[in-house]
Amino acid sequence: MTAQATVFRWLRTRLMVHGWDALRQSARARLITIILCTLVIAGVVFGGALEGFLLLRKQSLPGTGLILGLLFDFLFLTLGIMLIFSGGLILYGSLFASPEARFLLALPARADQVFAYKFAGAIGFSSWAFVLLGLPVLAAFGVAYSVAWPYWVSLPFFLLGFLLLPGSIGAIACLLVVNLAPRHRRQILIALAAFAVVAAGWFLWTWASSALGANISNRDALTGLLGQLAFARDAWMPNHWLTLGLQAAARGNVPEMLFRLALVWSNGLLAYVVAAWVSHLLYRRGFNRLQTGGELRRRYGPSRLDHWLERSLTILDKPTRLLIVKDFRTFRRDPGQWLQIVIFVGLGLTYFSNSRQFYRSDLGRPFQHGVALVNLLATCMLLCAYMGRFIYPMLSLEGRKFWVLGLMPIRRRQLLLGKFGFAAVGALVIAGPLILAADFLLGVSFTATFLHGVTIAAVAIGLSGLAVGIGAILPNFRETDPSKIAVGFGGTMNLLAGLLYLLLEIALIAGPHHLHAMLTSSDAAMPTALFVLQCVGVILGIALATAATLIPLRLGTQTLEAMEF
Amino acid sequence: MIELLDVTKRYGTKLAVDRLSLTIPAGELFAFLGPNGAGKTTTIKMLCGLLFPTSGTVRVGGFDLATHGDDARRLIAFVPDTPYLYEKLTGREFLRFIGDLYGLDPARRLQKEDEVIELFRLGEFVDDLTERYSHGMRQRTVFAAALLHEPKVLIVDEPTVGLDPKSIRLLKDLLRKQARGGTTVFLSTHSLDIAQELADRIGIIDRGKVVCCGTLDSLRQQADLAGTLEEVFLKLTTEEGEE
Repeated sequence: MTAQATVFRWLRTRLMVHGWDALRQSARARLITIILCTLVIAGVVFGGALEGFLLLRKQSLPGTGLILGLLFDFLFLTLGIMLIFSGGLILYGSLFASPEARFLLALPARADQVFAYKFAGAIGFSSWAFVLLGLPVLAAFGVAYSVAWPYWVSLPFFLLGFLLLPGSIGAIACLLVVNLAPRHRRQILIALAAFAVVAAGWFLWTWASSALGANISNRDALTGLLGQLAFARDAWMPNHWLTLGLQAAARGNVPEMLFRLALVWSNGLLAYVVAAWVSHLLYRRGFNRLQTGGELRRRYGPSRLDHWLERSLTILDKPTRLLIVKDFRTFRRDPGQWLQIVIFVGLGLTYFSNSRQFYRSDLGRPFQHGVALVNLLATCMLLCAYMGRFIYPMLSLEGRKFWVLGLMPIRRRQLLLGKFGFAAVGALVIAGPLILAADFLLGVSFTATFLHGVTIAAVAIGLSGLAVGIGAILPNFRETDPSKIAVGFGGTMNLLAGLLYLLLEIALIAGPHHLHAMLTSSDAAMPTALFVLQCVGVILGIALATAATLIPLRLGTQTLEAMEF
Repeated sequence: MIELLDVTKRYGTKLAVDRLSLTIPAGELFAFLGPNGAGKTTTIKMLCGLLFPTSGTVRVGGFDLATHGDDARRLIAFVPDTPYLYEKLTGREFLRFIGDLYGLDPARRLQKEDEVIELFRLGEFVDDLTERYSHGMRQRTVFAAALLHEPKVLIVDEPTVGLDPKSIRLLKDLLRKQARGGTTVFLSTHSLDIAQELADRIGIIDRGKVVCCGTLDSLRQQADLAGTLEEVFLKLTTEEGEE
């Protein structure tokens, strides 16, 4: 290890020790909440996965080993692809946009050492969801199948080794994009991510379509179906090495396990060395290109969109209106933000138009309602992601400038109301037409469309209240990267609360209608008891939306008003 | 010690620095003045190797920043206008990090740490986390870290912002002392009185070009004005803008 590597390792250790001490001494309640929430999430995932594995074991299906292998292959492939993009994007922020990077580059720190230091941080940030969600699934597998001890010993080493590979690929992509196209680097990274998502979605859709038509009890049909997934099980695919290694460990086959472990680590380390070498050549050059690749100053003129928005909000008082327009202006001037929304809405529409194909295939009324319910769920999940990524970090992003807003002659409550207004209007504008388009394409009944509209309105408003409120209760004023704010503790709490909330809303408002339709084969009228349940569900859904809006906003306002600047 | 040879830097189509040539010998305190957006910060960033020139050569201690950047940076200490500190390190740990990064051996580093802690009167707070420091305390800590490895070139950008009069006096004495000791001091500032009081030579840059460079007397001759540096500066930069 070189002297500089030792220095950076020492720095990382000291920062972690002091960070931990500060958390332990001044924010004990927060620390306990983090630990409890982590345990709850891990416990829920573990419980669900354990149920699934036990069920699969009980079924004694032919080729269970193959199915499990396939499941692992896809789990690791998906997580690997996600890590490539999340690692690349986080590394971009910390290598090229952080004040620390500027500070370090003015010192005689070697470019590859700065890269290595930042790489470790980026991988830590991007992979903690991998550990939190992946580890309980793998632990559940171990418990359900009573695996041999080498499985438990080798599991963390397999996961750590695997992280190096997608992380390094993401880092190399980030460095190349910044050097080759400094003016459009973010758009290119997002476009690449979108391409990967579309390609994966298209493949899964095609595969799922054939899977639905196939008879899996027929050996030839099953073999054909699994044959389509051969690429994920290719001998050259790192995710497959991980699967084979873990399966060997589960059987107690130590030589095979060690071979796969060596394969994962050697390739991961090689990829990391290549990434460090690329950074040695391109990091400082890329930093220079990024700083000077575009114009020194870009002129921004007034936009009619701002004017229209302000005019359409005349119902609100002027300060709140101006705050909403300020947030909208910041949003529209960052294509990296709205491009992601456009991509996800585009993906949603592609998916909805594909689900029309199911309807044409005459798959029956229960299935049609199932698809409609999935469409509603997908739209609500899209909203939840939008809130987590864009709305929750908004207050934190005010950061050290917050005193400007804090000293303005407006009540702090108005700051939150402004952000809530911006979030709710944006969410309704995105999700309303989307769900209407989905229902129109599917040709669902007026009642279902109406209930979907109510659900979307409740979810959009409630999620806005949650994101803005939790954003004020758990702000992170030190961080400038919204993606890091979104994946931090507060962001995770917001995501979990949002997911739980949207599931409850769907179950209460749209659930009874779809449940009835899926259980009956004709358009028979709803029984009185179920109708009453439906009405109560709508009322409860609206009450829940009111509570999800008002309680977080109230708590957020109290936190904000007690805050010192 | 510092050589800028026909250096040009562009941001897209905008010319930030235009064929700048400047040579600053060892032990000179050079004040670099100019209106906002004149190209001072871009020049400093090129001196530190943060940015590369579009054309021309930047050398520090004989090392070309484009090809031997790490060697050149070992000779440099840079104090920016907004000091960066790790908030979850103590002042002492920050000094240790900088000393280690410059490759000081542990015994020498400890000795230098004690010296700069005393020089900048950091003793009272050096073992606190820097997140609790005021602006003045941060600035003093950054200066202490900059002098730890006894740099050959000290680049300072707006050093007096946010400092109290006593700290400013301390800083002025320090910069002069450094120059007397053989360190080249490159001082970028808007405080003309500090430049007038301290600088051996003054360079004025406007719209990316060096308008004039020399001692205060030679600047007065070029401006054809026997006034203060402020009057000379205003005349020279206004004339350049009008041309």
